[in-house]
Amino acid sequence: MTTYIIRRLLYTIPIVFGVLLLTFVLFTLVGGDISIEIAGKNATPDTIAEIRAEYGLDKPLFLSWDSQFINHFKNAFTFDFGRARDRELVVDKIKRGVGPSLALTVPMFFGVIIISVSLALVIAFVQGSMWDVLAVFICVAGMSIPYLSFILFGQYFLAYKLGLFPVFFSPDLPTAQYVALPVLIGIVSGLGGNLRFYRTVMLDEMRSDYVRTAFAKGLSTRRVLFKHVLKNAMIPIITRVVLAIPFLFLGSLLLERFFGIPGLGYLMIEAIGSRDYFVINAMTYISAILFVVFNVITDICYGLVDPRVSFE
Amino acid sequence: MVGNGTLLSVENVSTHFFSEEGVTRAVQDVSFSIQKGKTFALVGESGCGKSVTALSIMRLVPAPGGKIVGGQIVFEGENLSALSEKQMRDVRGNKIAMIFQEPMTSLNPVYTVGNQIVEAIRLHQKKSTGRAWADAAEMLRKVGIADPDRRVREYPHQMSGGMRQRVMIAMAVSCEPTLLIADEPTTALDVTIQAQILDLLDELQKQNGMSILLITHDLGVVAERADDVAVMYASRIAEVADSRPLFAEPLHPYTQGLLKSLPRLGLSDKRLRTIPGTVPEPLHFPGGCKFHPRCPIGFDDKRCQTIEPELREVRPGRRVGCWYAPGYETKEEFKEYESKYGEHKSVPAEC
Amino acid sequence: MGWWTRGSHLSEHRKILKTEQPKGRSLWKDGVRRLRRRKLAMVCLAVVVLYFLLAGFLYLAELFDWQVGPIRWQQEVGKSYQPPSRENIFGTDIFGQSVLRKTLYGAKISMTVALCASFISLAIGVPLGAIAGYSRGVVDEIIVWVYSTLSSIPYILLILAFAVVLRDKTLFGYKLTGITSVYLAIGLTSWVGICRLIRGEVIKHKNREYVLAAKSYGSSGRRIIFKHLMPNVFHLVIIDFSLRFVAFIHAEVILSFLGLGEATRPSWGAMINDARIELSRGVWWQMAAATVAIFFISLALNIFGDALRDSLDPKLRIQ
Repeated sequence: MTTYIIRRLLYTIPIVFGVLLLTFVLFTLVGGDISIEIAGKNATPDTIAEIRAEYGLDKPLFLSWDSQFINHFKNAFTFDFGRARDRELVVDKIKRGVGPSLALTVPMFFGVIIISVSLALVIAFVQGSMWDVLAVFICVAGMSIPYLSFILFGQYFLAYKLGLFPVFFSPDLPTAQYVALPVLIGIVSGLGGNLRFYRTVMLDEMRSDYVRTAFAKGLSTRRVLFKHVLKNAMIPIITRVVLAIPFLFLGSLLLERFFGIPGLGYLMIEAIGSRDYFVINAMTYISAILFVVFNVITDICYGLVDPRVSFE
Repeated sequence: MVGNGTLLSVENVSTHFFSEEGVTRAVQDVSFSIQKGKTFALVGESGCGKSVTALSIMRLVPAPGGKIVGGQIVFEGENLSALSEKQMRDVRGNKIAMIFQEPMTSLNPVYTVGNQIVEAIRLHQKKSTGRAWADAAEMLRKVGIADPDRRVREYPHQMSGGMRQRVMIAMAVSCEPTLLIADEPTTALDVTIQAQILDLLDELQKQNGMSILLITHDLGVVAERADDVAVMYASRIAEVADSRPLFAEPLHPYTQGLLKSLPRLGLSDKRLRTIPGTVPEPLHFPGGCKFHPRCPIGFDDKRCQTIEPELREVRPGRRVGCWYAPGYETKEEFKEYESKYGEHKSVPAEC
Repeated sequence: MGWWTRGSHLSEHRKILKTEQPKGRSLWKDGVRRLRRRKLAMVCLAVVVLYFLLAGFLYLAELFDWQVGPIRWQQEVGKSYQPPSRENIFGTDIFGQSVLRKTLYGAKISMTVALCASFISLAIGVPLGAIAGYSRGVVDEIIVWVYSTLSSIPYILLILAFAVVLRDKTLFGYKLTGITSVYLAIGLTSWVGICRLIRGEVIKHKNREYVLAAKSYGSSGRRIIFKHLMPNVFHLVIIDFSLRFVAFIHAEVILSFLGLGEATRPSWGAMINDARIELSRGVWWQMAAATVAIFFISLALNIFGDALRDSLDPKLRIQ
């Protein structure tokens, strides 16, 4: 099993390389020299030169040991992301933002999974009935409403109008309070798509031959669902769930922006607005690493649940 | 045909599927009975409704859309159609068991073989887990799997097709059912394994005295193993008889065509014979007798085109559904035909 | 024996086959037939077509300078922030412009973006997927590496990154306006899904008998891909297209909302962005209009896409 893990991790290296290459192309080649922008309108050529030196933008692109290309990779491996536009260390910004983001996304994550999987089981039970059709319709309708509207509506109605929740983040509020409404909105808007997926998985399994055999043995629908279908359905469910974990760190871009929660998502939005390539670059790199690592973890979980998979 | 030795009696059962495309009449007005301790074969081409008939007996017709719309099924004197779902669950796997065609997909891949057999045992019999596992291993030994104590903890994908089918059989007979329904049990297996599996079924039948409903499209298997036969075509029974007489003298043109198309050594025909045309789609069944478009006598016969012949007992122990089967037509019907359509077709002498 | 008289079965065949002949049906005809039966799906298709027609009409109107309502969205039709009334069904915005006109115009933007993005992602994804699946070997490895790389970055992040970078840049001497950068960003990042799909299908089909047969009588690789493989995987392309279209519309809305899209002309995302401030003043109609517009096209596409998938699924066919 260790050889399998090592082999899989080795395979992630070309991917990470690819991501670094992509970010280099995007932010350095296509993005161009932004030292002028950083310097501002009335900057003197000296200031611009200083800035260029500081950010390493005066180095040759490719052809030297100290080229931007090499440095890009070197910095990535040492997690040295330099400074953002506002001169703060990118690493510090990220450290600050992780806490609030996780406070938001982790409850959302668990909420959506628990509710969706349970509801999916219930729906598999009443398959074909009116409730099933209604549930599907609600899911599709939920998926068709733009995410933005969910957030706006929730914020306006539940916080502003009804005053049930604080409208905005403020540093003196306890975490649970300012996170409550965004989490609620996140769960409700995310239910549609997830429930639909889990429902499809359950129903597909219900149509399998082994379910027919189980019924032929005289098992009740409840037994068949909870024992036979669930374990098989776990395989695609786990894949989807584990792969969603890396996204938890990114925070929810839009929710944070709307509610002013100072997490990584908010950081991203600010960076987009101010064209802060350094921050965007760092975030992209980190997300990619998390993603490939969790891909490997997914494979391992897969192998633990499905006896057909061998780690050869 | 319903006597004291009757275990299962299927009476005028019809099963339809309702979908947005329309109604699929998969099984129409099917009747036959299975005697205790005997093997009854239900033969027909793919799509004729034999599997749906079997599922109807178990009341396992696929739920969205499928429904038994008529008739009744009497098992050991009890009307299965009148049982509640809970009572039916006590029958399934316990008194009537079923094995399916694809052993690979019919077993749950994420549980061990033993786990699945134990599940069946503990569901219907009050046994401790330890006893149940011992019984499971014993069942594996009974169905001819070597080293059963090791095998019992293996997963389905670790076994060959033939072994998996043996596991299915072990699971099915673990509670000693009186009726075993085998839906094309050997179709997905190699020819050499087929014979072994069928021998195993014979063996178990002798030991337990159970009846077998064997569903197949292979006439060779029917000839060797079945006591009684029913031939199905396009949702209906064409002919029912004891095995030997059916093969010696088939009365329905479809059966005749099937037997004629079996390749045989020694015959001087250069071509393989076939029944022309193809099996009709359930949504577009022809009017009248379902077989008439492909029948040498019925394709241009006005009566065959319009009126469906019901099953009638033309001789003791033989039922057919064909206007031109010897002994089928009553004198009134003969006269009615002549007055309506003119000259009656002659029933040819045997070949 | 019996009815089958000796030696004459050929003439029997001929006689019999003349009477009834089952008709074969291609997957397409069968699928379309089944699709037509679903009333709901047909209604949804009508809605989708309606949106497209509206967008197309507005596009032409702008091109030929026809002065129809939605084109003149800038015109002041009333006082600012008028609630919905008989003159202005959706009310007015801060400038007194008709929200109805803005909503209709927004349709043009959204549909255009989604369409362009779809073409870009299909134009990249389908050929790459087919080539990767068919050639295997080094070419395949490279293509898989490219799309694995792209898919390790979260979708939103990727699109935002592209959109930010491409904005106001010149590509081959052509200046990228806001909206162009949006659909380039979406298109260049969304081809991965369809590429994977096509590649998987091609790999599956590559070893099927009909391909081996084609090879055996000397078909070239390209011919095999286009004539034999493509028709068999094309239905997946259609289904993917219809479902992805919704995602593209939503992506455009988010990008416009964040200010990365069209700045000078009304779009649904911009309208929702305005609503952020407006709501606190009790002005709800701009957001409502945009939401409703997005909702119906998304719903219609989702339902139609599902119906399409069910109808074209070979496993659910009668035969």
